[in-house]
Order: sequence, then structure tokens, then C-alpha cells
Amino acid sequence: MERLPRGRHGLSPEFVARNQRERLIAALTETLYEVGYQRTTVSLIGQKAGVSKSDFYKHFQSKDECFFVAYEVAVERIRDEVTAACDTHAEADWSPRVRDGIAALLRFLAADPALASISLVEGLRAGHGVYDRYQAAIDSFVPCLRQGAPPAPGGDPVPAATDEAVIGGIASLLGRRVLAGEAERIDQLLPELLEFALTPYLGAVEARRIISAG
Amino acid sequence: MCAFSSTAAILQAMLPPPPRGAQLKPTRPVLPREFVAVRKRRRIMDAMAQLSAEQGYEATKIADIVRFAGVARKTLYDNFDGKEEVFLAAFDAAVDELAGEVEAACARAEGGPVDRIAAGLRALLAFVATNPATARMCVIEAMSATPTASARYDEALQRFVALLRRNAPERTGLPETIEESLVGGVAWILHQQIRRGEAEQAQALTPQLLDFLLSPYQGVGKSD
Repeated sequence: MERLPRGRHGLSPEFVARNQRERLIAALTETLYEVGYQRTTVSLIGQKAGVSKSDFYKHFQSKDECFFVAYEVAVERIRDEVTAACDTHAEADWSPRVRDGIAALLRFLAADPALASISLVEGLRAGHGVYDRYQAAIDSFVPCLRQGAPPAPGGDPVPAATDEAVIGGIASLLGRRVLAGEAERIDQLLPELLEFALTPYLGAVEARRIISAG
Repeated sequence: MCAFSSTAAILQAMLPPPPRGAQLKPTRPVLPREFVAVRKRRRIMDAMAQLSAEQGYEATKIADIVRFAGVARKTLYDNFDGKEEVFLAAFDAAVDELAGEVEAACARAEGGPVDRIAAGLRALLAFVATNPATARMCVIEAMSATPTASARYDEALQRFVALLRRNAPERTGLPETIEESLVGGVAWILHQQIRRGEAEQAQALTPQLLDFLLSPYQGVGKSD
């Protein structure tokens, strides 16, 4: 994120403050990706953002607070992206919705490994206080999958635990890939994850038919 | 999971009777020194499991551990470098035990892959239900206790991925990553169950999780 010009620039103080805050959030996300949570310090974040330490503390009380905000921002950005992709289809078109949702998720994360890392890896490793947020974040994707989901192949409704297991399974696999330093290639997992997501609802045969049909 | 008090009793019963006249002077129970050391080590690890489950890893102090385990601080430091090492040892022991039980259940199961997977899942859920504190340590605390702990957590997941792969039907053209996703999904459901404080009821998840685990393997042709 670009720094603002120095000196007299005629920008309102609110604008400057908001810009600083956004730069700090972006800087924390980047720093976290580079050195991990433990070694991320307020000084490092400030340096990267081009914001002084004392200005940092005008926006956040601590590294933790900045982290929590950055985490929420990351999850919200991802969710917006996924929801927008799902919503290009009507609710009845369940499998295209899921396909486009997962595709958007993978594209977005692959293009921004730091975002992938804070949301899928560091979010869990930053210690307590984050669990609730991680859990809420994962849960917030469940409706994308559940909305318009068909009953299981036997005709019974698919249990809620399945939606959660599918979302949790995707998050787990992606987290492991990010941890292995393979975030940039995450989008290659689309066919596999799509098959994983569709199978409990449609059965293995139908899921594979849809995937090979593209 | 800690059956040592009864093991101690058995071991004592197996010891040769004390020599004549020995009764004159009451002595402490005669247990081999090594056995005592192992047992103390184990008590420290169990204390860590219990305490980190109750109050979290961060809040668990060495002082709490030695008090809970009933050992001297020195004993802890004779056995471990510090808190993290206690945690990692406790985690590794618990994962070994859990993976061993799941593996044994799979091996014992008669029938095909479906029966093996079902038996493995039942063993997993039974472990969680009977060892809620250990389960919490493994599934929740380990994720974030320390960077090394989270790396171990990932290794443990990988162990279950390999286990599922070994017991699953022959490769049927399913995605390479299917077992990773499935194990991740099951871990997540357990994570939630434990966080809700319902580890003891984990076995109620059996039918749902079994459907989920088996869904990719069912109805897929035996070709490839």
C-alpha cells in the first residue's frame, strides 16, 4: 500500500488516519507471512507500513489488537469474494454455486499468500482469543454450502455436521498447503476440492460426472 | 488412559516376597527405581494434559504441573527441559496411543475397507469420549500452544491421513488429496465437539462422520 505524500497535502486528518490504519493492517498481514506471529513486532509492522511506533499505538493498543482486526478484515474480504461468486447463480443451481465459490476462494488465496496465511494458518496459531474468531470464520462459510444443498443420495437431508466437515476439511487442506509454502499453487486444487465438497451431497459418481463435464 | 496405579499394584504383587525378617522394619513399597522414574515422568505428562485442557497451555505454569503431578520441581527438570518439552512429550505419547488404538481397531475389523474405516472411526471417537482432557490437548491446545506444537499437530494429522489411505479401498481415481480433506473435516468436527465441552458424547457423531468419511468411496467403480 502506497504511503501518502509528505508535507502539506491537503488531505483530511480522517483520511490520513484511515489510510494509516489500512497500511498497518496490510503490513501486519505481510509481516506475519514473512516471519510468523511470534516474531512479528510493532516495530516491524510500523517499518513496513511507514508509520511511526507512536502512530501505531494511536490505532491499536497492541500487536494482538492489530492482529485481530487484520484477521477479521482478511476473513471478510475472502467471504465477500466467495459469496459474490456463489451469488452469480440462482440458489437452485447448487453445484455451479459451490464450484464458483470454491474457485473464487482458491483464486483469491493463491493471488495473495499473506492473506491465505493469516486466515488459514496464523489465525489458529496466534494463541487463544483467536479460536472463537477462527471458528466463527469457518462457520460463516457454512451457509454458502448449505444454501440450496440437495438431500443426500439416499433422500435424507445431509446432516449439519457434514456441511461443517466439508468446510473444515477444505480449510484444513488449504492451511496445510499454505504452511508448506504452496499458497501460490492452491488454485490447482479446484477439481479435487470440488469433488470432495460435492460427493457427500451428490454421491461419488454424480460428483465426478459434474466435474468431468467441467 | 493412565492405568499406572493398577499396574503398580500388579507389579508389586509380582515381586518376590520380602525376605524373612524384613517385616520388622516397615519400608516403602519396593518398586524398581526405573519404574518409579517412568511413572513420575508419566504423571508429569498427564498433569500437563489435564491442566492444559482445563486452563490452556499458556496459563499452565511449571508450578501447577509439579503440584498436580505431586513431584518435585527438580524431578520435572531432570526429565524435561521445560514446559514446552513436557507438552510435546505428552502430545506425542497421546497421539501414539490414539493412533495405536485406531490402527489396531482397523486391523481387527473383519470384512472390507468400509468395515475397517468404521472400526477406526469408532476407536477414535471412543478415545475422545473416554479421554476428554487428552483429546482436548491433542485436537485444540496443540494447534496453537507453540510453533513446534503446531508442526507436531500437522504431523499427527498426516499420520491419520496415511492410516486412512492404507485402509481405504484401492485407489479408484479419487483425488490425491481426498484423505487429507476427510481427516481435516473429521478433526474439525471433533474440534467443535470438544470445544463445546461435549467430548464425552463424541460417539454420538458416529453415523454422521461415517457417512461423511465413506461418501467418496461409495459407488465409485473398481477400475483404475
